Amino acid sequence: MGYLEEMAKYQKTEKQKSFSADFLDQEQVEEYEFWDEIEIGKETVVPLRFEVKAEDMIAYAEGVPDANPVFYDEEYARKCGYDGLVAHPMFTTQVLFFLLRKGHGSWIRTPGSRNPGQILEWYDPIRVGDVLTLKTRSYDKWIKRGKYYMRYLSELYDQHGNLKMRGYMTLILPKTREDVMRFVRGEHALEA
Amino acid sequence: MTGKLTFESVNCGDVLPEIKQHISQEVIWKHAVASLDYNPVHTNPEWCATAQVFGLPVPVMHGNQTMSLMTSVITDWAYSSGARLKRLEVKLIKPVPVGSTCTYGGVVSEKHPVGKGEDFVVVELWAKNQDGEQVAVGSAQVVLPSA
Repeated sequence: MGYLEEMAKYQKTEKQKSFSADFLDQEQVEEYEFWDEIEIGKETVVPLRFEVKAEDMIAYAEGVPDANPVFYDEEYARKCGYDGLVAHPMFTTQVLFFLLRKGHGSWIRTPGSRNPGQILEWYDPIRVGDVLTLKTRSYDKWIKRGKYYMRYLSELYDQHGNLKMRGYMTLILPKTREDVMRFVRGEHALEA
Repeated sequence: MTGKLTFESVNCGDVLPEIKQHISQEVIWKHAVASLDYNPVHTNPEWCATAQVFGLPVPVMHGNQTMSLMTSVITDWAYSSGARLKRLEVKLIKPVPVGSTCTYGGVVSEKHPVGKGEDFVVVELWAKNQDGEQVAVGSAQVVLPSA
């Protein structure tokens, strides 16, 4: 059984079942934005929306894995002082990957990318029924010790315009489209 | 919900309960499905054998899974008391290859009595592999309820 079939066994939610798990699909990769093409200062509001369902939040907690009942049991969460089921704070990872599929912001999907660390700020709880939109802005890129870094701002808003999360995201990326395509072919393609 | 935490009951130097997690390929695959991050550096052992993004011929766990487990140190400790994580900063230091066993923990380093409902503490977080090497460090700002 291949790795995609292995993972398919764990897909339970509507979003998981409809999402393409093949990040080496060349047609998708062709629509990414590559390090040397990134325009600093460009801001994009991603056209897709993320409608939050309880199954999405629960699935994220299961995949951490984290068995805390505040993430699974609405009644228990209310007894703890919350106004409903609680999303694991890092649930925003699922939201971003669902929304960022091509063009500006697609860097997080890049074969060969590395994650050196992140800063996340949460302003308002994500709740079941929220409809989330994502604004992303590339604001720096640099070369250090032969590695190609970039940093971007991600902001998640709900349907009322409330800021839910702001992330200062840093990535190390392959430099060019050809470098990424070498990774897609399974070649080692880092300059560093 | 026994032993409810409050801002007043927490002190600098308090050590949070640790979490331990073995990182099997199944654990990584489940996280890939949960996060929708299917990058082959985590999910595709055959591809990793040649691409070696981190100089390793095997999959590594997601950096965001490390961050999630560090976050769970906070939520396990304080969310049953009605706490709220407001900021997290994590530096990922070393890749975590499949087969590792990591431990995650934290200690309260600061108290910020800024106002009822907004009082928060800072927790210094860490993640170590089975050899005791730090794979990530970070800090979290956690709003705690008042007594």
